[in-house]
Amino acid sequence: MKLARPERELEPSPPASLDAQANGISRRALLKIGAGGILLVGVAGKWLPFAQALEEVKADYAMIIDLNKCTGCGACEQACGRRNNLAEGKSFIRRLRKEEQEQEDCWCLPVQCQHCQDAPCARVCPASATYRHPSGVVLVNEKACVGCKYCAVACPYDARTYDEHTGVVNKCWLCLDWVLGGGQPACAQACVTGARIFGRRDDPEIAELLSSGRAQALHPEFGTRPAVVSYIFRGT
Amino acid sequence: MAEHHWGWLVAIYLFLGGMGAGSFLMAAAVELTGMRYRQKYCPTALVGAGVSGPLILIGTVLLIFDLGAGLREPWRILLMFTNLQSVMTWGIWILSLFLPIAFIYGILEVMHVYPQILAWARKRLAFLPETLPYRRIKRVLAIVGGVLAIGTAIYTGVLLSVIQAVPLWNTPVLPALFLVSAVSTGMGLTFDLAATLAVPEVHRHYRHMPLIHMLFIGLEIGLLALLLISALMQGGVAAESAKLILLGKSSVVFWVLVMGFGMFYPLMVHVYAFARKSHGYLSGVLSGAGIVIAGLFVRYLIVAAAIPVAL
Repeated sequence: MKLARPERELEPSPPASLDAQANGISRRALLKIGAGGILLVGVAGKWLPFAQALEEVKADYAMIIDLNKCTGCGACEQACGRRNNLAEGKSFIRRLRKEEQEQEDCWCLPVQCQHCQDAPCARVCPASATYRHPSGVVLVNEKACVGCKYCAVACPYDARTYDEHTGVVNKCWLCLDWVLGGGQPACAQACVTGARIFGRRDDPEIAELLSSGRAQALHPEFGTRPAVVSYIFRGT
Repeated sequence: MAEHHWGWLVAIYLFLGGMGAGSFLMAAAVELTGMRYRQKYCPTALVGAGVSGPLILIGTVLLIFDLGAGLREPWRILLMFTNLQSVMTWGIWILSLFLPIAFIYGILEVMHVYPQILAWARKRLAFLPETLPYRRIKRVLAIVGGVLAIGTAIYTGVLLSVIQAVPLWNTPVLPALFLVSAVSTGMGLTFDLAATLAVPEVHRHYRHMPLIHMLFIGLEIGLLALLLISALMQGGVAAESAKLILLGKSSVVFWVLVMGFGMFYPLMVHVYAFARKSHGYLSGVLSGAGIVIAGLFVRYLIVAAAIPVAL
């Protein structure tokens, strides 16, 4: 047994890398290129899209609500209730009455699902019933919802409504059937003063409005990154 | 108090989940430390192991009543195992592991105390063994179940504390409070209530119990104060929530039932018991009842005081 050892040491070591040698590149160079490449891809992959991702909104549609034009008439609220066959007085849109003391007037803030990119409702849903459609619209699978109301508790915009008849926690779905067919959501159609501007993000008019910076997300500090709904706040 | 989306049913569930976990921990503690075997009859182990599973089961059934699909299409509940990002899903997993262990442990403990049950069963099912290695099985189950019980108690707090939309809840103090409260209610139920009722001179068997219990009640008061004071300091809707509890319509419930009957009175009883090495029959029962009631109302007040962030 002892004799077998030196024999093994005398064996020629196998070539480092046959492919690399054939191409005239040593293993060391290959490693260098590989490491450099990984570093480059890593840095670029980490930082460039990271900066862009903060700006870029991954959604096909935009609904911009001009609060200078909104009179708070409630037509959108009613149209939403009718469109979705909700009980009398129910809607996926809430109107919040805002009062400004120095100006002594009150204005209205219509709130519905903002279709967040980091939707807390989707994250907390135990049944995975809330999800993001490829268009960026956040949807509820009514056949999967167990009605635990965790999403309603988690939504900072309080945009989810529990329907006692179906036992499902529902919300605005941007009337996606009409929208995918080229139409407008019921609320945008119903708006009397044209305060609701709806369209594809790549539509020149919408794109200009979005890039002008006038349209702002409601409470971006919640960190949910609303993707579809934005507002032109009063006086801007 | 105006309930937001969750109300009494969820609060009762969180309470029963916590108390069930706490009772199991007490039974496991007296089993693993061997204190259970220092006396002929140990009501803490029997009640702790016996009620833990049923309490959590009752809580879970109540929760199913709160689910929109609970009575319409109960099979949808199976979907609640799917989203591993959701704390509720973690809870469902923990509970579905803990419940069977708690039940098996409870049955074993009852059979251990009353051997005639196994003898009776053997008359009908001859293949059953004459006796079981109770201590060995229970030791393993107490360790595994104990870990899951701590998980259950903590998860009931994390469930609320991850909700950024409700600033009162969104703090790691809440899971800590719920864990301490779970242990405290477990002690209240199994020592103060059950043991005092069954064996009035129970404190002789657990000499350090008043001290441990005292520390837990003190910790609970401290954590509750930390939760409410930090909410007040934070301002905004968190402060509004805290004011709702401290000064609102139900503040009488908070000050009299929770702080008075449920925390300071039991604290006094245990300080007295620690100094005198004993406490009276009635004061033991009353302090146990106080702790249990406080555990329920603390959870209800915290659930009902949820004010979402302002828009």
